[in-house]
Amino acid sequence: MLSGGGAAIERVPDFEMADQQTQSRARFPGQPAMWFFVIGDLWIFTCYFACYAFDRGQHSAGFLQGQLTLSQGIGVFNTILLLTSSLLVAFCVQAAREGATALARRLLLLGGGCGIVFLLVKASEWYLKISTGLPEGSDSFFVYYFMLTGLHFLHVCLGLVILALVFRELKKAGPPHVAFVESGAIYWHLVDLLWIIIFALLYLLR
Amino acid sequence: MALFRNSLTYVWLFLVGTTLVSWWLGATTAVADIDASALSLNFTVTVGIILIAVVKTRFVIWHFMEVRHGPSWLRWTCDSWLAFLAVMVIALYRYSM
Repeated sequence: MLSGGGAAIERVPDFEMADQQTQSRARFPGQPAMWFFVIGDLWIFTCYFACYAFDRGQHSAGFLQGQLTLSQGIGVFNTILLLTSSLLVAFCVQAAREGATALARRLLLLGGGCGIVFLLVKASEWYLKISTGLPEGSDSFFVYYFMLTGLHFLHVCLGLVILALVFRELKKAGPPHVAFVESGAIYWHLVDLLWIIIFALLYLLR
Repeated sequence: MALFRNSLTYVWLFLVGTTLVSWWLGATTAVADIDASALSLNFTVTVGIILIAVVKTRFVIWHFMEVRHGPSWLRWTCDSWLAFLAVMVIALYRYSM
């Protein structure tokens, strides 16, 4: 699918070249309202991360024990899935700028598809965790695990709704509203970057 | 292959590579054979994992979100947040050890 879209991607000039052509003038990505939401959301998650870091040190044995029952392989798989999804959505923005809306829609569908697989893997992981039981003494860790991954899950769901709105925009006749497409992509990248931090804190930290 | 002439592809490769490095760094044994070392805090490994996550996050903000082309206030806001996040998580972890 990607190689099929390769020719059209080729028509998109590299973003750095495009930047040089616009005399390196600062260009605001997306719409200000989306950035207001993104920055606010980042600070809310920062508070959760602070609580987690502190509690983890206070009850380190329970947290480490809980953490050992997580499958790091699944975490890595989901991380690569969201990174790939972000790349596809970033390509979609480039294609939309060039007016290649058919290619942009295909890339968006692939990106959204990765998001749906992420949700399915996450839901399976929760099911396995709950059905096999949680190790004794790791309650605090799993409160954070379910809260952080649950909140992130809701963000992915909202991200998919936003991608669907972007898809609708790309289906309209005429040139797409690029700032709207960029804003949708920025939200999707937020979902990706939050997962990068959650994955490190929950699955990897020692 | 046009895909390989796009700088975003290299950003993605870097992000996947650093994900694998951080996995190797924080790898734990299976629950069936928990050993003593797996159940102890490790400040050095933790700092390494947090720094890798912060670098990855900055790459996403800079290249995928295209903040590197944005106005300076946006670049400063994002970088300040990242620096704050890294210092806060490491300091709280260290303090509570």
